[in-house]
Amino acid sequence: MTRGTPLILVVDDDSSIRQTLSRELAAAGYDTVAAADGLEGKARFEESRPDLVITDLAMPRADGLAVITAVRRIDRTPVIVLSVRGEEEDKVRALDRGADDYVTKPFSLRELLARVRTQIRRAEAGPAVEVLRFPGLEIDRARRTVVRDGQDVRLTPTELAILELLAGHAGRPVTLRQIIAKVWKGAPATTVDTVRVHVGSLRRKLEPDPANPRYIGTEPWVGYRFLAELVE
Amino acid sequence: MAANAKGLAWIALPVAAALVTLLARFAGANATTAGFAYLLLVLGLATWGGWAVGAAASLVAMACFNFFFLPPYGTLTIQDPSNWVALITFLVASTVASRLVATARRRAEEAQSRRREVEILYDLCFGLFAASQRPGILGEAAARTLQAIGAESGGLYLAGEEAPVTTLGGDSEVDRNLLQRALETREIAEAGGTAYLPLHVGGTVNGVLVARGRLAPRTVLESAGRLLALAIERERLLGEAAHLEAVRESDTLKTSLLRAVSHDLRTPLTAMRLEIESLEGRLANQPDALASLGGLSLEQERLSRRIDNLLSLARLEAGVARPRPEPVPPSSLFRAARENLSLILAGRPVEVRVERSCPDTWADPSLALETLVNLLENAARAAPPERPLELAAGRDPEDRERIRLEVLDRGPGLPPGVKRMLQGTRDLRRNADAAAGDSASGGLGLQIARGLAEANGGSLALLDRPGGGTIARLILPAAPEPEEVEG
Repeated sequence: MTRGTPLILVVDDDSSIRQTLSRELAAAGYDTVAAADGLEGKARFEESRPDLVITDLAMPRADGLAVITAVRRIDRTPVIVLSVRGEEEDKVRALDRGADDYVTKPFSLRELLARVRTQIRRAEAGPAVEVLRFPGLEIDRARRTVVRDGQDVRLTPTELAILELLAGHAGRPVTLRQIIAKVWKGAPATTVDTVRVHVGSLRRKLEPDPANPRYIGTEPWVGYRFLAELVE
Repeated sequence: MAANAKGLAWIALPVAAALVTLLARFAGANATTAGFAYLLLVLGLATWGGWAVGAAASLVAMACFNFFFLPPYGTLTIQDPSNWVALITFLVASTVASRLVATARRRAEEAQSRRREVEILYDLCFGLFAASQRPGILGEAAARTLQAIGAESGGLYLAGEEAPVTTLGGDSEVDRNLLQRALETREIAEAGGTAYLPLHVGGTVNGVLVARGRLAPRTVLESAGRLLALAIERERLLGEAAHLEAVRESDTLKTSLLRAVSHDLRTPLTAMRLEIESLEGRLANQPDALASLGGLSLEQERLSRRIDNLLSLARLEAGVARPRPEPVPPSSLFRAARENLSLILAGRPVEVRVERSCPDTWADPSLALETLVNLLENAARAAPPERPLELAAGRDPEDRERIRLEVLDRGPGLPPGVKRMLQGTRDLRRNADAAAGDSASGGLGLQIARGLAEANGGSLALLDRPGGGTIARLILPAAPEPEEVEG
């Protein structure tokens, strides 16, 4: 990162939300640039190359999905979408299109700032480390071992692949489609039920109490989110 | 026409026999020539009048041949045994030839009549299907069919309808018994010159065509009936397609309307919430202002939930959003419900208990969450702030295939009005009106919660809690247990 202060692009057609978000993000220590619709958002992204994009989904001219597509065509800049309850399909579509996270309107500033911090941290982190450490859990990607509370956990290759994918995206949602694409390489016979079955079995082996998961949270409509935070 | 030709052939037989005899005698023909001449006579008459005329002509010709041309002349006796052979050969040849000719003629007539039938059916087919692609042509189709099968009057009666769709040549008496019989047996019923033609296609009878007059042969009637039945079926399918298209358009309209309303309501709410939080940050050192902002925040959150409720109900009622169940862990529902009510629950103890082996619920995540949020909000409002609220989940002991999600409080218990309302009618709108004046009781929120729970395939019960307080019990189906897998 060449800039000292991360730059955030805010794309929303509502001027009041745009202004408040810009002001509060500035107060939280970020630089901001704003756009009133998808077309302007794409232009601003290309000229200022921000470190993170926050975009509404329903907008005149080009919508949030168009913004995500435009960003992904250029690089892996994190994108957080502002979704609306009852429009779950749009949210999932945005995540599958490459968005990294979402908050649901009306969201709280605290919630949004927490998501922003997670994304900026992820973007600043170096290349993937070999050993992922979480409270009580250690995943060694090179040796393909999982240790929970000092005990080895024996996982099938599929379960391990799912765990690595989720833990590698700790704090961020991973959609069922993304899991199918990454773990099963998009094999045509794989359904969401297949994923659920393997996640269920992974939970039984990994979670101290599967009914109260500590690590793998269910994200309704979307998929899963790894709940624990990486230990530095 | 054919009967007339036969009659004439019978009359022509003696005349022609006499003529041939006279001509042969006059020309002085020998027995062989005369025999051929008589053979020609037999063939001609057989062609004209059919096999019976041909056979009679053979006998007459044989008698004349014997009488006038085989010695002794003028008698029906035969002297020379070789003439017996000639006579019998003549008889056999003429009979066989007349038979062949008559058969060929009958076949030609049959082919002709088949051609006419095919022409009738082709015209009908074209009239019914190719000529018009517009809906609403049943009457026209029936009239064309009646015309094609030669009916002078008649009408189309659709199955399950009392009055005819259309009549041709005036209204006349219809025998309901025969009509019914045709419908049930799928066979043509006939009485007094009226045919009741069942119209069936693909195993179902969709009506009866009543036809009077000099009707086409039965095979034509049956085929015409099938064609008309197909036309009726097509008409029905066209109608259904038009209806589906209308429903689809109306659904699209409702969906986009609800989306627009949802967007327009939530955007200002989001702006409000952000403004309030922003102000809270800037007025951190002014306790009075902060207290007011806290109140504003709570109200904003409540408004937001009511809008969620109303939009969910509107979606369900409009039929544009059917519940989409998936496995939802109770713990994630509890976590989301607490996050949703973070302001109301701020500083309040909430105890969460999920049984160790509790399976996931099989529910629409949005609806289940909304129901739970309403119940938790209600409990938070009813119970004193220092008493903990409890969230509990486990298998329903009465039905292991179901999950019990409970919100327990130590409030004053249920007001009688709310209990009555929840036990009463299931008409949400009526109850919502009744509850509107009693919003402090949380009646509307509970009513909506019950509506959402039922839409989710579950149920909601409010029970008095032993030792004081209320148990709000939401029962949802359990998700199917995943099987163990390897790989």
